[in-house]
Amino acid sequence: MIEAITILVGFGIIASTAWLGPKSAKIVAPLLLALMLYIGGRAGWGQLTGIILAISGAALAYFFAPVRVLRRVAFLVPSLVLLIYTTTLLMYRAPGNPFAGEKVADPQVEMALRAHYGVPKDATQFFFTYMRRLVVEGTLGPSIKVAGRSVEELIGPALPVSISIGLLALALACAIGLTLGVSAGLRPNSLADYGSMTLVLFGISLPNFVIGALFIIVFALKLGWLPVAGWGGYRHLIMPAFTLALPYAAYVARLARSGTLEVMQQDFIRTARAKGLPRNIIVLKHALKASLLPVVSFLGPAAAGIMTGSFVVETLFGVPGIGQWFVKGAINRDYSVVLGTAIIYSGLITSFNLVVDLAYAWLDPRVRGTL
Amino acid sequence: MYRTLISVLLAFAVTLLLVGFTFSASLDAPPDYRFVNGTEPKTLDPHLATGEPENRIISALFEGLTRYDPKTLEPAPGVAEHWTLSPDLKTYTFHLRTNARWSNGRPLTAADFIYSWKRLLDPALGGEYAYILFPVQYAEAYNAYKSYAEAIRGPLKAKLTALIEKNESIDAARWQSFLAEADAHGPLKATEQKVLRDLLTFKQGSLTREQLNAFSQGLDLEAKLLLEKNAEAREKLGKTAGFMAPDDHTFVVELKAPTPYFLEITSFFPTMPAPRFVIERPGNSSDWFTQKKIVNNGPFLLKTWNVNERIRLNKNPTYWGHDEVRATALDVLPTEQLTTCLNMYLTGEADWLTSNLYPSDLVQDLRHRADFHTGPALTVYYYRFNNKKKPFNDVRVRHALNLAIDRKLIVERVLGLGQLPAFSFVPPGMTGYTSPRTKISLDLAHARELLAQAGFPGGQGFPEVGILYNSNETHKKIAEVIADQLKRNLGIAAKAYNQEWQSYISTVRGINYDIARAAWVGDYSDPNTFLDMWVTNGGNNQTGFSSPIYDQLIADAGNLEPFLANPEGLLSHLKEPAMIRQELESARAGSVAEKSEAWGKIRMQLLREAESILVQDEFPIMPIYFYVNSDLVNPRLRGFYHELEFPDGKRAPNFKDIHPLRDIWVERGPP
Repeated sequence: MIEAITILVGFGIIASTAWLGPKSAKIVAPLLLALMLYIGGRAGWGQLTGIILAISGAALAYFFAPVRVLRRVAFLVPSLVLLIYTTTLLMYRAPGNPFAGEKVADPQVEMALRAHYGVPKDATQFFFTYMRRLVVEGTLGPSIKVAGRSVEELIGPALPVSISIGLLALALACAIGLTLGVSAGLRPNSLADYGSMTLVLFGISLPNFVIGALFIIVFALKLGWLPVAGWGGYRHLIMPAFTLALPYAAYVARLARSGTLEVMQQDFIRTARAKGLPRNIIVLKHALKASLLPVVSFLGPAAAGIMTGSFVVETLFGVPGIGQWFVKGAINRDYSVVLGTAIIYSGLITSFNLVVDLAYAWLDPRVRGTL
Repeated sequence: MYRTLISVLLAFAVTLLLVGFTFSASLDAPPDYRFVNGTEPKTLDPHLATGEPENRIISALFEGLTRYDPKTLEPAPGVAEHWTLSPDLKTYTFHLRTNARWSNGRPLTAADFIYSWKRLLDPALGGEYAYILFPVQYAEAYNAYKSYAEAIRGPLKAKLTALIEKNESIDAARWQSFLAEADAHGPLKATEQKVLRDLLTFKQGSLTREQLNAFSQGLDLEAKLLLEKNAEAREKLGKTAGFMAPDDHTFVVELKAPTPYFLEITSFFPTMPAPRFVIERPGNSSDWFTQKKIVNNGPFLLKTWNVNERIRLNKNPTYWGHDEVRATALDVLPTEQLTTCLNMYLTGEADWLTSNLYPSDLVQDLRHRADFHTGPALTVYYYRFNNKKKPFNDVRVRHALNLAIDRKLIVERVLGLGQLPAFSFVPPGMTGYTSPRTKISLDLAHARELLAQAGFPGGQGFPEVGILYNSNETHKKIAEVIADQLKRNLGIAAKAYNQEWQSYISTVRGINYDIARAAWVGDYSDPNTFLDMWVTNGGNNQTGFSSPIYDQLIADAGNLEPFLANPEGLLSHLKEPAMIRQELESARAGSVAEKSEAWGKIRMQLLREAESILVQDEFPIMPIYFYVNSDLVNPRLRGFYHELEFPDGKRAPNFKDIHPLRDIWVERGPP
């Protein structure tokens, strides 16, 4: 009951950031941003980097960011805190706990372990222990199931792996998706349209593990061009990136097609045509930008998802990325890993959404006024 | 337009940089060979680890007093160059090599073993394998007696006082269920007080308040005795008793009783030494075994440990036997996905798939390959019954279910890899031990009769049974086959349901199931590792099963002396006392060697009697089959013994599937 009320109050606080006045936003947001950058920077690269990041971030925000962006920044911190709290409650509700091994341990041993890892029996107490550790000591805590490693040490090497596969996949998804989608949208109901939309249908309906398995059979087992699995060279990057990219490419293609279709019937395109602009200039300079809008709003959360890895792709190709920790953390009830991955994922999602909003303003002059 | 192009190119450059950065961390020269270990090791601390994947790596990084000979798995000289055993078979004297050293060059001495064994036994460390040293004098007292005393003084005493206040007298059945609920048997298992022993096994009649009060006083005394014993152990262990270091290169171990498998324990990873000078440096206690900090004494060094990617082991030049180690570098892969494992093996990315790391559906395709090796394992697959819940609290029901299962059909149709149907709990292959005659082989007529006697003729009125298993395809198939057999053979409706691992563990531990799937892997090749888990309230019992005679048998097999002093009390409860009487005679008359042989036989006979309670009288569980190990090994790997080869020409299966990395190498030549 108390938990439910706390969560409601948390939502209230988060919602209230939308009504922050311009003056208070200009003070609250840079402070919160500084705090976040300091904690993150210190956990990743040490005290000094944390301070530099915090000061420069706050200064940038104070002097350059418009009020709406500041409100969004102010919104970030309380929502992360609420996320940690809610995740903690949910974790504690799940049956079992990280200290239940196959062979029974002495209750005293369990007490000692709980004290060592900072995992009290009560969820709310754990929340405070965790927050204290995060803010004061600047650490995501020790992993309970991977002995001798902190969560930073687990996620630290895994995140760049996932991000590099993710970026490559994202680039592929955009390249493939936009080419198919725009060319289909320019000639609706043509052979090219039907052909590319059939391909897209495959991309959407075939799950990752099927595509991945097909790739493995063809390129690794039959042709022997690429290694089956593992990590250590650019050749290990290709199949996972393509596997990860195809479903996203399919979505991008569909959005780009409908966007292009719609834009091409707009008045300003007719005007451009009427004044005799060549077709490729119309498409590239005028239509493309506008037709990208739905794609961009999809790419925000998609980028967060694609860069935090995929459990399926990573296990299939034996890639040491971060996606596995989402699943393993939950299965092992490794509370600190669960929270660490949740923070990173939601941090990425909220920041990419912010980036998307900014990109909107750049792409669509009509939006600029509201920012 | 150009601006867009430039930003796209820039983004691409950043990507490439990042990719290059992540790879640069993982560039090592190609190893001699790679093997798939099945999972990421949870820890490399020998005193805290459990599990086979950890065992393989730890045994390559560290070395105990003895090690496994790869051909016979018998104890071979490790850190100890040679050893002697006293005539009463209770004192081992190990002579350590003078050239044994840590990887930082520091000499390894007997003091390192004193520290390490005490560390393993330290209750504050919480090592699950601490009990492995319990055959050593004072080891259990050091590790557990304090917590026993606290359990007696705290909850047990309080519950007993409440019981005495409420009741004038109490009947035997109530009393036994009280003892079970109050977890009395565990902390009192070693008591020598007659009043406690008598009342713990009190099964008929009723107890007066005086008797209960006497028990309560006995508890006070017991707690005091346990604490004294614990204090004594803290004072003496490692110095004047248990294990001692008379000089830098001599390590003496005193056992409670002759323990024939003791040298197997000294080869087993929990007894390996850990570097005190690293662990006790500030900030090192929980991560001293990570790649930057570790100092070890075994055949290999930990060069790289990239979580979820690989572990690189390099040959250790400071290892005393480095001339015998023929591999210079090897990679340990933590791959878990079974299809990926098999693909890696088939394309030569991995040279060895350790036990059963391939999709089980493909067994029929793989079993005919020349590089596919199978052999029996020291592992039993079984079902637990909830011995406390109706109708499974009726022994006839448990017996009937055991009789109604066609185990042969399961091993042949569902598994098909040469697994043996289990009609006992201890797998075959224990030297000097044969399981008792079984009463659980398929017999439908008898099963139906028993079920009718229990009040469920033709399964009528039998509640629907839930069969719990941890999520896994094979467990699911077996559970469904068994549910079907129960329906068809006994008319019992059963439903198989699964839970993922952590939930499954908490359900089983809370004994909140009807029937639950389980498996047990032997820790050493002695039947005791399978049987001592079934003592009343044993941590791994988890069925509610309790039999005082069983507890007594296990206790006496662990320490024969009280039994030898007064055998008759127990003998009258046994099925085959004649055999033990005969051995007692020859032990009394014979020489030291004959005596120790006779004692060994008596010990095995006591264990056999204990197992007979499981498969002839009480049936707290339903054994189903014994596992096989199967490995896929590239023939270019040498030093593999799928069958053990003894000097006298005898051969035996490699039951434990142990292949020491120290002795595996690759024949060099064209790839």
